[in-house]
Order: sequence, then C-alpha cells, then structure tokens
Amino acid sequence: MEHTDKKTAFNQGLIIFIFLAVLTALEFFIAIVMDAVVLLIFIALIKAGLVIYYYMHINRLNREDDGPEESYSFKTNTNRLGMWLFLLSDSFIFGGLMVARINLLGLTRPHLDQSLGLVVTAVLLISSFFMNRAETAMEHGDRKGFLVGTSLTLILGIVFLLGVVGIEWPQAIHEGITASSGAAGAIFFMMTGMHAFHVLTGVIFLVIILRNGARGLYNEEKHWAVEAATIYWHFIDVVWIFFYPALYLIGELL
Amino acid sequence: MNKLKPIWRALLLLLMGGFVGYALGVGLDALIGGTVDFVAPISGVFSLLGSATAFFFGLIGYRGITKGLVYQIIGTFVGAGFVTAIRAFMGLETFGSFFFTEPAWVFGGLVGTLSFLSGVGAFADWYKWAKGESTPEHHQDPEGFIKYFGVSLDHKIIGIQYTVTSLFLMGVGGTFAMIFRTELAASRLQFLTTTFKAFDQNGLQFYNTLMSLHGMVMIAGILLGVAGMINYLAPMLIGAKDMAFPRLNAFSFWIAVPGALLLLSALFLGGFDTGWTGYPPLSTRSPLGIQMFFLGVYMVGWSSILGGLNLIATVVRLRAKGMTPFRLPIFVWAAIATSIISLTATQLIGLSFQLVMFQRLFDMGFFDGTRGGNPVLYQHLFWFYSHPAVYVFVLPGLGIISELLPVFVRKPLYGYRWVAMSSLGIALIGFLVWAHHMFASGLNEYLRVPFMYSTLLVSIPTGVKFFSWVATLWKGKISTPTPMLFVLGGIIVFLIGGLTGPPSATVSTDLHLHDTYFIVGHFHGTIFGGYVFPFFAAIYFWFPKATGRRMSEKLGKLHFWIMTPSFLVMTFAMMRVGLLGMRRRIADYDAMLGFDLTHLITTIAGYLIFISVAIFLYNLFHSMNHGEKAEGNLWNSRSPEWLVPSPMPVHNYDQAIEVVGEPYDYGLAGSKYVDFTNNK
Repeated sequence: MEHTDKKTAFNQGLIIFIFLAVLTALEFFIAIVMDAVVLLIFIALIKAGLVIYYYMHINRLNREDDGPEESYSFKTNTNRLGMWLFLLSDSFIFGGLMVARINLLGLTRPHLDQSLGLVVTAVLLISSFFMNRAETAMEHGDRKGFLVGTSLTLILGIVFLLGVVGIEWPQAIHEGITASSGAAGAIFFMMTGMHAFHVLTGVIFLVIILRNGARGLYNEEKHWAVEAATIYWHFIDVVWIFFYPALYLIGELL
Repeated sequence: MNKLKPIWRALLLLLMGGFVGYALGVGLDALIGGTVDFVAPISGVFSLLGSATAFFFGLIGYRGITKGLVYQIIGTFVGAGFVTAIRAFMGLETFGSFFFTEPAWVFGGLVGTLSFLSGVGAFADWYKWAKGESTPEHHQDPEGFIKYFGVSLDHKIIGIQYTVTSLFLMGVGGTFAMIFRTELAASRLQFLTTTFKAFDQNGLQFYNTLMSLHGMVMIAGILLGVAGMINYLAPMLIGAKDMAFPRLNAFSFWIAVPGALLLLSALFLGGFDTGWTGYPPLSTRSPLGIQMFFLGVYMVGWSSILGGLNLIATVVRLRAKGMTPFRLPIFVWAAIATSIISLTATQLIGLSFQLVMFQRLFDMGFFDGTRGGNPVLYQHLFWFYSHPAVYVFVLPGLGIISELLPVFVRKPLYGYRWVAMSSLGIALIGFLVWAHHMFASGLNEYLRVPFMYSTLLVSIPTGVKFFSWVATLWKGKISTPTPMLFVLGGIIVFLIGGLTGPPSATVSTDLHLHDTYFIVGHFHGTIFGGYVFPFFAAIYFWFPKATGRRMSEKLGKLHFWIMTPSFLVMTFAMMRVGLLGMRRRIADYDAMLGFDLTHLITTIAGYLIFISVAIFLYNLFHSMNHGEKAEGNLWNSRSPEWLVPSPMPVHNYDQAIEVVGEPYDYGLAGSKYVDFTNNK
C-alpha cells in the first residue's frame, strides 16, 4: 500500500477532475467551431488515459504481493487482475458497437439535444470525481467521507440514467428518431441502451457497497469491494468518454 | 445391483416426465387453439424439459441440477407470462403458434436461465457477499456421484462436469449429422418429403434445422470440452490448489447448461434455416427457433468468456514456485492463447447475435439495407469471433499433442520455446484474418489481398508445431498405447486439414471453393485433427488420474482403428464432391453430377465414426467401475500430477511443489522437473 497523504490524494483527484472538465468543454467548443474528428479522438484518448491512470489506478496491477496465497492482499491482487480482464472483455462489446456506428453512420450523426448531452456527460464526470473521493476516503479509513462520496455518486448515477432514458429517449422519439426509423436510431438506442444497462448495474453495485460500508464491513486495509465498484464506475465513464463524441459531436447532422 | 437402481428409476421417470410434458404442451395448445392437436408444436419442448427434469429427479432427487431445471421451467413461464401480460395490456397479439409470442419466449428464456442459476445455487455465495456475509473458501462436496450434479467449487469436479456435458452435446450433434447424412446418401429426397408437424417444419426446413444445429451444438460441445480439459488439467499442471476464482468457475459451467437446453429447444420451436452462421437478412426472417439459438449461444459464450478470464488469472497468479514462463507446460501455453481469444473476441459474436435479436424484437434496422443498415457489418462482427474461435477449438488440442508426445517418445520436446510461442502466434494472427470468410460477400476489393496474406501467415506458427512434432518423433523410443495412437492420428489428420487451408484462403481458389463441400471437408479435418483426436487422447491419458482405473486398451485400439480410416475416407470424400461442385448446406443434389457413390461412402464412413464413438462411450462408462486399477505413474510421466496418488486428492498437492528443471527432458540422465517441499 502506498501511503500518500490523504490531502494530497484528494487534491490529485480534484486536479484531474478540473483537467477532465476543461477537456470536455474544449471538446464541445471544437465540435461547434470546426470539423476536426481527429482532434476529438485525440482529446477523448487523453481523457480516457487520465481516468484510467489516475482514477482507475491501472498501475496497481503491478503491486507486489506482500503476503502468502491465503492473505487478503494476495487475493485482492488476484481479484484486481480478474476485474481488469473482465473490463478488457467488456470493452470489446463497446468497441463492437463503435465499429457498428462507424460502419453504419460514418461521418454523420443523429439530431440530438446538444445541451442535454453536455449535461449528462457532466453529471457522469462529476459522479466519477465523487467516486474517486469516496475511494480515497476509504483508503485512509475515513468512513464518513466514503459514505458521503458514494451517496453523491449514486445520486448522480441515477440522474444520468434519468437524463438518458427518461428525457433523451422520449425526446429522440419525439424528433422521429425511433428504434425502427433507421440505422441511426437503431445505433443510438443500442449504444445508449447498452451503456445505460452498465450504469444500472453500477448503481446496484454502489447500493451494495453503500449498505455494507454503512454497516462497517470495510476498513482501510480490507475494502476490495469498494475498489472494484470504483474501477467499474470509472470504466462506465471511460466508455461514455468515447460514446459522447461518437453520438453528439462527430460528423454532420443526418 | 444397488448401483443400477438410481439409473433405472431415472429412466423410468424420464419416460413419465416426457409424457407429462407432452400432455402439458398439448393442453396449452388446446387452450389457445380450441381444438386438441396431438402433434402440437410446443408439446416437443415441454416433453424435453419434463423428461430432463424427471430424469435428474430420479437420479439424485430434488437438489442441484433438478432444482435448477424446475426453477428454469418456472422462470421461463414467469418471464414469458410477464411479457404476455404486458402485450395484452398494450393490446398486442398475446399468443402465437408456439403458445407464447416471440418476445415472450425470448424474455422467458432469459429469465429461465437466471432462474436455473439461482435454483442450482451458482449465485448463492455472491448473494451472501452482497448481503455482507462471508462464505467458506471451499464447500464440502457430498460423497459419491451426486457431487457431479450440483454446484461444486473443485476444479477437478467442474472439469469432469464440463467433459461429460461436452460428450453429451457432441453425441447429440453427431446424431443430428447421422440423420441428415442418411438423407444425403443418395440423390433425390428420401425421407424428408413429409411434414414434421410436431416440429412445425416441413422436410427441407427440418433438414436445415438439423444441419444448423449440428454445427452449433458441436461448437458448444467443443467449447465445453476445451473448458473441461483446461479446468481439469491447468491447475494440476501448474501446481495450484484450484482456479483463481472457484465460484466464477462453477458459474461458467452452470450457465452453459441452460444455454445448451435453449439451443436444443430451437429444434422444437420451429427450427431455423440459416446454418450455424445466422447471417441476416435470412436470420431476420427465420422461425422462432433462431431466437433460442441466439440465446443459447449467448449463454455458452459467457461460459467461454469467464472460463478464459479465470484461466489467465490462475496462470498469472497461482503458479508453483520456480515455474517461470518458459517452464510452463505447453498445454498451459496453449490454454493461455485460447483464453486470450475467448476472453475478448467472444463478445463480438454475442453482440452480432444480439443485434439480430433486437432487429427481430424491436424492428431495429441494423442489417436492413432499405433503412441504412448493412448486412455485411454482421459478417464482420460475426467472423471477428468465429474465425479465432476455431483456434479456441484446436489450440488446446495441439497443446495436448505436444504435451503427450514426449511421454511416449521418451525424448525432450523439440524446440520448446518455439512451440510455446507458436500457440500465442496463432492466437494473435487469428485476430487479423476474419475477412477471408467474406471473399465472396461483396467485400471491398482492396481488402481481399491483405486478408489473404494474413491468413497464409497462420501456416508459419502451425508449421513450427509440425516441425517440432516430427523432430520429437525422430529416433525416439516410440511406444503406442491408445493415447499415443490418438496423438499420432491427430497429427496426421490435422496435417490434412491444415494443408487444405491455404487453397481455401487464397482469393483466386477460394472464389471457386467458397460454400462447397470442400470447405466442409477442410473444416472437419482441422477440427478432428486439432480437437477430437487430442481430446480422446487426453481422456485416455488422464482417465486413470480422475478415476484410479484405466480404460480398456483393447476397446480403445478398436475405437482408434475404426475411427481413423473412416474419418480419412469421409474427409477426402467430402473434399472430392466439393471440388466437383457439391454445395454445402443443401439437402439434395443432381444425380447427373455423378457423385452419388462418393456421398454414399461419406455416409457409411460417418456411421462408422458414430459406432466407434459409441464403443468409446461404452468403454468410458464401463471402465469407471470395472476398469483395471491404475494408481501409480501409469505412463511414466514427469508431470507433477502423476507423482501423487490417483484419483487426485481434493486440494491436489499436500506439499508445495517447486519446479527445478525443464518440463520435457525425457531420457536425459539426472534431469529433474519438480520437487516436493516439506514446508507445510
């Protein structure tokens, strides 16, 4: 376990969040003023890299074992590898959807509500920030900070779900983009639906760790479930980092 | 006599359960149809479920798999009923020709699968974890054969569960092949002229369904067989106590069981006529059976994905001390290569099937050209998995060949590092070759040649393997007990399958060979050589490890000497008719083409293979209780699992293993592979 100071860790999370927020805003404005797909892909890659490195802590995969095979830390290292392998596998679904979107729509996009898209993206990004705070708090044994952070993440996650499924979907249908209207509608509902399904499972995961955390089942040494939920939640954010420009920003309106 | 009892009770109940299910199906059909129809289409699926449930009830009582099946039936009804209620509320059509409507069957199939898993108990520990309770690392398994019919966390039990399920599925798939091969024995239609009302299909549709299901049931069987070998062997070979995630391991096996049932239920729910590839737009218009096919493959796919995940984590984390990457057994290298494919690429066949499923359910236009969709997109997504999938099938088998060859040649394996890397090489190149299945699909011209060369590249690592095998055999002290016979047979058959690959991969020849029986001959050659022969070799070789008894050598040799010549005749005959213009997937051909005799020979050879496998199955089940005792290091192997008693103790090795030398240094004086340390 690296023993970084709690305050330093919180600050790092904040700085990364600011970077992500600025990049998202930049992305949005670039999409408005010019037609620069390569630049948008580049920004998305930077954002994903920041989340994967600083929020999902991919470098923890390199952690040395400091106990025998039966110890909690050894098993956590194994679990962490399993989790990342699962995400690798899962990313192939999203990759496949992205391929389908590029194949069917090319450099066009459906007519969607831009401000709503930006809002839900921001909501998911902020939820990632609080998730990071929650995990950092748990790592330093701050249970209250953990509970507050997780609750906020949970609420923002539900807001995201409501925003996409409850507002964006009916609006799209109202605009004539339905599941059966054509390839664009089909791809839009498939991509957002698959992502929303993952958000829903993430929300369930958060409810579980919130409940068990409130009952004091985790401590600063043993909190694998919290770490797993955190990695999963950030993964959902990474997926959206690519889906947001793919659905809202890239290409000309259909 | 006491041992026979449960099986007779089970068979009796199977009949009764089948009858009860049949009556239920007829009753439900009468409920919506108004008239009693004794060959109602849904009576088949209910008698299948009823007989399976009753069979296991007779065998083991209400626990384990029986409970799972009961839950699955109830879950299917609840799920389908839920959708039906919603449809009734929305004023949509509520009942179809298979009682429920298509969306109701799909949702019912999904809920049924989840219900099976909770009924059998695969979720139990995770549910407790979610509630914040901790569970013991290992459950105590019940004594006797019952332990194979419920959730167990022991990798050896799961490996045997996988293997037996695999043999069952391959038996079913083989039976399908026998039926349609009989029809193909002569030109003109013989017995497929009638309508099979119980299946709601006419003769030709029934042929298509059997042909398609032969493909996919075999593939499911092979995937489970691969998982069986990997599960049983990998932890033992690397000196681990178990897989890294035992619960996930059990889950991976048990999700395949309802998946296989869903797949088989396609036969009774109208079938499907697309072949195992399920290309749209045909698959968007197929009968209901195609949805069950999609769902079934989806579940078996998850089994494969999670099994691959588990294997990689196990090998990375739980190797014995001193087992450096280049001291890993070749089979484990092959298992890693396989798992990399199944972990990642499998998602894309799932996605492609899911997209067609959604196109059917919600009228989404992914593959509908009139609405901006693209049918070729499906083929890309599908083959991105389904080509590497054949490497999932053959790599473990090729690993088995490299693993067993030195044991029976008493010489070191030639070029260990090259062979280890060749498995990874095949797997990685396998990701770059998928479009060679699409040369005739209207693929962009400029994509053909790169995909041709990437495909031809596969022959290099495969050639490395062949070179190593031949060089290992060179001047060895060869002995030929049954496993070695199958290893040698595998090498020869795989050579034939392999050599017919390049002509199928080269654009100019493929445009002629595409969709002919030549491809069928090529495919069967690679799969028999790369999977079936090594799988049998592995069973003959490790059967004593699992049971403490050995299989009959006499019957084993009979099995080999019937199967090998028959198979060679069959595959060459298939290739011959293919070159002469026989299309694959069709029920009939013109007598004027002049290959009636070759087709007849193919069918007879197919029957002989079927008989030889029946001999094998008899040998397998007979030897479990009556085989010759074999408790020591029967094959004089260096591998650690043969240095401990058979059957293998529950946690594999009482003492920790330390690897101190190279794994395949047979015949070298003073060489040592493993040491048992006494520190625990």
